[in-house]
Amino acid sequence: MVVLRDGMCPGLSEELVVALRAADITTGTWVLINLFTLFNLALLAIRRVLLAQHTAFPVSGADLYEDLLSSTAILSTGNPSLDKLLDSGLYTGELTELAGGPGSGKTQVCFGVAVNISYQLKQSVIYVDSTGGLSASRLLQMLQAKSCNIEEQMEALQRIQVFPVFDIFSLLGCLHHFRCVGLQQASAGGGSVKAVIVDSVSAVISPILGGKQNEGMSMMMQVAGLLKTIAKDFNVAVLVTNTVTRDGNGQLKAGMGQTWSHVPRIRILLQRLERPGSTCSSVRTATLAKSSRQPCHLKEEFDLQCWGRSEEQLYGMSGKRKLENTEPS
Amino acid sequence: MQRDVSSYAIAPSVKVKLLNAGFLSAADLCDLRPLQLSKEACISQEEAVEVLQAVRCEPGQERAAAGRLTALELLGREQELGTIVTFCSALDMALGGGMPVGKTTEVCGAPGVGKTQLCIQLSVDVQIPACFGGLGGKSLYIDTEGSFLVQRAVDLAQAAVEHCGLLAEDSEQQEALKVFTVETILSNLFLVRCHDYVELLAETYLLADFLAQHPGVRLVVIDSIAFSFRHDFEDLSQRTRLLNGLAQRLIQMATNHNVAVILTNQMTTKVWSGQSKLVPALGESWGHAATQRLILHWEGTHRLASLYKSPSQREATVPYQITGQGFRDAPPSDQPKASDDPSVRQSGSLSKRPRTEEDQSTRT
Repeated sequence: MVVLRDGMCPGLSEELVVALRAADITTGTWVLINLFTLFNLALLAIRRVLLAQHTAFPVSGADLYEDLLSSTAILSTGNPSLDKLLDSGLYTGELTELAGGPGSGKTQVCFGVAVNISYQLKQSVIYVDSTGGLSASRLLQMLQAKSCNIEEQMEALQRIQVFPVFDIFSLLGCLHHFRCVGLQQASAGGGSVKAVIVDSVSAVISPILGGKQNEGMSMMMQVAGLLKTIAKDFNVAVLVTNTVTRDGNGQLKAGMGQTWSHVPRIRILLQRLERPGSTCSSVRTATLAKSSRQPCHLKEEFDLQCWGRSEEQLYGMSGKRKLENTEPS
Repeated sequence: MQRDVSSYAIAPSVKVKLLNAGFLSAADLCDLRPLQLSKEACISQEEAVEVLQAVRCEPGQERAAAGRLTALELLGREQELGTIVTFCSALDMALGGGMPVGKTTEVCGAPGVGKTQLCIQLSVDVQIPACFGGLGGKSLYIDTEGSFLVQRAVDLAQAAVEHCGLLAEDSEQQEALKVFTVETILSNLFLVRCHDYVELLAETYLLADFLAQHPGVRLVVIDSIAFSFRHDFEDLSQRTRLLNGLAQRLIQMATNHNVAVILTNQMTTKVWSGQSKLVPALGESWGHAATQRLILHWEGTHRLASLYKSPSQREATVPYQITGQGFRDAPPSDQPKASDDPSVRQSGSLSKRPRTEEDQSTRT
């Protein structure tokens, strides 16, 4: 709510502001809340101005639907199994979360999505990296599998903008920067920005959650609010990664607590396959833990190497389960 | 645009006073002078000045805009930074040339498997001059267990100098050999001894200043991070928070100052559905802290190194051995069943980063 200042609206003079402050009224919230006891014309005028400035605008459902049809895009992840789980891909305007333990493949999926969007769809991607896990050589490797043309590879790499942030204040500053100047200016690359990937949100938030710190939760929800606003206003798909914890029954669930669990629209849990024979396998299982479009607990297996292979290799065999023949002898 | 006051890096007590006085967003604060602000919000004048500085110059946003790169620029930067060779060619190939500079790597292993040996080897290898394919940098060794032995470092340094001496061909390399001696190696190795976790945390806070004063440092080794955090800790959730904060500071330092950070971790037994497994210590959330994770383990009498987690390399397991001269490849007659795929041999060619020190490390 705004602080009351002299000259904000007709009738709000300096003496009135001082008198209000003496009664411990400094913001417009009091004015709006106390509807029945206002007889002073000046205060009524103030209330009218505040209402005009701060009320939300109702939108009809039909308009909203039209909007959705014209502006939502579905971005494929590049992996048919994941696309099946996500109901054909990442939807713009929504927040999708990938949760998994260490080494489960979250960063690799983020790379795959970024490469697919920048090479296949020729759109820009913003990658906010908070773990130092971004490896441009791996991105190049994935691009080299898709095309042999060096020009195209370099162009695709240029469409991926990387923002390294390592603590919560930098992340908040970065997200505010996107909101203020818009994603086009922030990225300054060719093509419009279609996805914002944050890897990982839990790395910057878990040090401030819990214990005697009371600010952690509020900062986490500020990040959530900013990400959702960015997704909606700029029509981008937001992909975040998170850690996992075990609940009382030993089941895996996403980290950062109950409050954060309501933030993403879609949640996918990634796990390594515990197969007795091979120890060095790149197959992972993805389970749909939360979705507004598909029934939950759908499971798919996929191979992390699928982004590193060319089209013929991928579609020559069924893109789903690809087990290497790992026995050397 | 309106940015909430609570999202700035201001002390919590000051934030509470600002919010009570009705200052909810940056727009409310930007027109005020410090004296006015301190009177209205009942904070001291120094605090008012700090608040206005934090809100006005908006360092977070400028930094966010300034620190950004395209992936193409990042690729160039990665290739410039290079890697630190370990002198075990199989491990170097699995790692894509060696330990990456600008990332954090965690080395886990049971006692006696060779973690400290690897750390001392890397502290010597980072100093190999650039004309031999090394980085020519200095190293900082933070020792929490007291397991650093100077005599062993001398042995490894002598072996490295001899190795480079055998390789020296042209005059530039001969010149470099004159400065690459055991004495200079030891003088470029900075050693810090931390006795408990408070000293370790304090050291990481001071690390930024140290690295700014010594820009030649290319390697920071913390051996080991588990030791100080595993005993004397009643509150495990506090330990997790401290470790997460520590991990973020280390990766920030690795990125901003272009150093490789190596952390050593111990192993613990986890009992899971009736079976027990040896897993790295410090909990599951610590697994996310380092960019790369290397697990050293025994297989009978052979030592194996497994790359468990890496953003750019495939998982692989390679054998190695510790000799009098340091960390080396295992002798070929002795190799246990190499449990990596036949296609992992090609993984070396999949990572297309130029490996300039590869020719040096293949001869062991």
